[in-house]
Amino acid sequence: MTPRRFPRRPLLAGLAATLALAATPVLAAPAIGKPAPAFTVVDATGKSRSLSEFRGKTVVLEWTNEGCPYVQKHYDAGAMQRLQKAATGDGVVWLSVISSAPGKQGYKTAAEARAWQAKAGVGATAVLLDPKGEVGRAYAAKTTPHMYVVNPAGTLVYMGGIDDRNSADPATLKGARNYVTAALADLKAGRAVAQPVSAPYGCSVKY
Amino acid sequence: MDEIKPEMSFRMTTRLASLLALFALLLPHAARAEPVDTGHLIAELVAETGSIAPGQTIQVALRQKIDDGWHTYWRNPGDSGEATKIAWTLPAGWQAGEFVWPAPEPQPAGPLVNYGYSGEVLLPMTLTAPADAAVGQPVTLTAAAAFLVCEEICIPEDAVLNLTLQVTAEPSSASGRWAGPITDTLIAAPRPAEDLTAVFQAAEGGLTLAVTGARLAGADMAGSYFFPFDGAVIDHAAPQAVERGPQGLTLRLTPGFAFQAPEPPQSLAGVLKVGDAYYEITASPGEPPAEAAGLGPPPAPRSGEGGAGLGLPLAVLFAALGGLILNLMPCVFPVLAMKAASLAGHAHEHAAARRQGVAFGVGVMVTFLGLAGVLIGAQAAGTAVGWGFQLQSPPVVAALALLMLAVALNLSGVFEIGGSLQGVGTGLAARGGTSGAFFTGVLAVVVAAPCTAPFMAPALGWALTQPPLGALLVFAALGAGFAAPFVAVAFAPGLLSRLPRPGPWMDLLRKALAFPMYGAAAWLVWVLSLQAGPMGLARLLAAAVVLALAAWLFGLSQRRGGWSLRGGGAALAAAALIAAVLPYGAAATSAGSSPDAGPVAELPYEAYSAERLAELTAQGTPVLVNFTAAWCVTCQVNEQVALARQGVAEALTRTGTVYLKADWTKKDDIIAAELARHGRAGVPLYLVYDGSGAAPRVLPQILTEGLVVRALEEAARPS
Repeated sequence: MTPRRFPRRPLLAGLAATLALAATPVLAAPAIGKPAPAFTVVDATGKSRSLSEFRGKTVVLEWTNEGCPYVQKHYDAGAMQRLQKAATGDGVVWLSVISSAPGKQGYKTAAEARAWQAKAGVGATAVLLDPKGEVGRAYAAKTTPHMYVVNPAGTLVYMGGIDDRNSADPATLKGARNYVTAALADLKAGRAVAQPVSAPYGCSVKY
Repeated sequence: MDEIKPEMSFRMTTRLASLLALFALLLPHAARAEPVDTGHLIAELVAETGSIAPGQTIQVALRQKIDDGWHTYWRNPGDSGEATKIAWTLPAGWQAGEFVWPAPEPQPAGPLVNYGYSGEVLLPMTLTAPADAAVGQPVTLTAAAAFLVCEEICIPEDAVLNLTLQVTAEPSSASGRWAGPITDTLIAAPRPAEDLTAVFQAAEGGLTLAVTGARLAGADMAGSYFFPFDGAVIDHAAPQAVERGPQGLTLRLTPGFAFQAPEPPQSLAGVLKVGDAYYEITASPGEPPAEAAGLGPPPAPRSGEGGAGLGLPLAVLFAALGGLILNLMPCVFPVLAMKAASLAGHAHEHAAARRQGVAFGVGVMVTFLGLAGVLIGAQAAGTAVGWGFQLQSPPVVAALALLMLAVALNLSGVFEIGGSLQGVGTGLAARGGTSGAFFTGVLAVVVAAPCTAPFMAPALGWALTQPPLGALLVFAALGAGFAAPFVAVAFAPGLLSRLPRPGPWMDLLRKALAFPMYGAAAWLVWVLSLQAGPMGLARLLAAAVVLALAAWLFGLSQRRGGWSLRGGGAALAAAALIAAVLPYGAAATSAGSSPDAGPVAELPYEAYSAERLAELTAQGTPVLVNFTAAWCVTCQVNEQVALARQGVAEALTRTGTVYLKADWTKKDDIIAAELARHGRAGVPLYLVYDGSGAAPRVLPQILTEGLVVRALEEAARPS
């Protein structure tokens, strides 16, 4: 067999993709230091939740997808649950958001979400169901997990990855620098968040 | 078969053995490595040669054969994902280099964009043997490769790969089945271009990257793109607008979250794709230099739906048909009126009639080809123009309006051209008639341009993606089709002789035909009012009054024979023209009342933008897009007759369709590019998107209410 030309250079595909880029919706980017985007969405218990109801408290938003290997890295080891319980124990509101569209990986109905919450021991204040992707798009959430921290005044103070280890290997949890823990500690001490942005990693949000 | 004698069999055996030994020496040593199927890809370590000498550096590569529909990632995976990694376990002294990454493809996934590879990929690396490697011994090198391979979902996969090489005394040359592919990959990979200078500038909400260098002069820049090495510096999903310059290009990027960090990035490194070539560049902060901009965006890429697949013979046929039908379109009718008047004046002078027919045909052809030349030239220079562009310019509209008025006044008998008053209806001077017919042809084309007949649109759309010769042929066919009826009639003595002999009825006909011309002048005045606002309108109306006065004076001088009157009339006419046209030379086309305040709007609509359309498509909402312009009569007729109707309004609310209007009354590069993308060069264009993200349905150019309602209902039906 004669080896083919490597690598394939699908110029037309690239052009088409580039043209298609012009037509795909661009996620509006929230900004550090500006008010966090508002939202109103139903949670797994059927109650309508909005960001404004948590004014006066620190809010952590965690985009999640049970089937994503990167989310599993944190949940299977119990690391995410420990983080959630520590934060909520401190008076922080932790919202886990599921933005997967119906039929895509990670999508949950309200009943399935409650079952997952119980089974995995999720320590979030609420699990928000966002199958239309409205909250995801408002926050330009790209990956699962993708983390945002909003201070009690409603300003976005952190957005990005949960830690600095872009890997699905559970061994990388050890020694990883957790940005959310650091941001919450900064807020508690009254400091400005030292690292307000970092690279989010994980699977793409399944809009 | 004879029995083989013992000494012969011994000789055969030795011969065979020596042949085999020779063979074994000549056969290049093959590197041994087994491919590993990790689940969704097959991974393998390959080398350009089967052996290595101490101290020699050879090229090896990680080969990935990825399942159809799945992909792995580049060093910057984009919005999500993880780059392929490799960790070598090497004996002491052996060294392996970093991956040489081939140019990635953008891989959109909903609103996100990743950078990666699909199909079969080689990631080359260097491998160096230590100087003290044991010669004659095979050596097995191990590497653990980790991939994130994704389709809709992502799966981390890994493989432990081995590569066995012979260590020989002499350095080996590249040979074997992978030598060629590895070399090809290395040649095609993005390479640093020392002669390119890159600077970036981050401003409020925008990031400009300007790259200059002698090699970029005249390069094809359509589809240029910047792939950064760092995933934090740009918004990967945002489009990158390209602006060409004499010696470079400027890309308008959307900054990523790294620019929100306390310390923004101080350098921007990555791969720049220009046309077919990929360069590694590193940009430092700085002012974009002048040579990086100024020539506008690159011409729209040569691929388009609709007209793209036409081919020359079909395009020529369509153009000829379109030209024929163009005779019937509403904007051509006033000029048809002039044609008829001119021809009626020569019904019984066959030779003169033939001359006039030919002159008209020549006028039409010359003007079509001239307009085509201007259009092709403008497109090559990167300006986004389309068919009908001359009417996007207020000075041209103003001048045409005055011209129509002058012609109408002439038909009404206020003044004459070439010949005394008594000459009316009894055969105007043939020479004057011939040149008159020529200019009638020119005028007919100029005014017919905004009308796009059926068949014309795909033919023109195709023509403007072709090299100049093909495009000119199509335009020539259009001209031929347009002029054909008049020329045919002029050459058909039978038809001519059927017309009644000249008499007072001719004067009556002529005066009656003045009114379509007044109508055309009024329409152009209205178009100008939309383009230039109330002040422009006032200027034009004042100029029109002065022109009417000039015409009367001119006619008076012809009846009374006073040169001073004639001169005065001419001077006034010139003054009127200058007064109407000159203000537009100075000021831009601004100060126009927004075309959105136009006459239609029984239907609630939104202004068209690519972002809004994409937003609505992402939400699954059906969309009706109407590309229109105030000067496009076909569009206006469709608007009144088919669109701004109760039935359509009800269908829109019933189906939840959003109505977007793209108004091309004034020059708009974005709309022109969008039209080109659909293979069209002019308006109207009606698209119905059903919200599933599939290609839109293109409605015909002549709409009826029923057609629109049916199209909306079909689009809203869940598929």
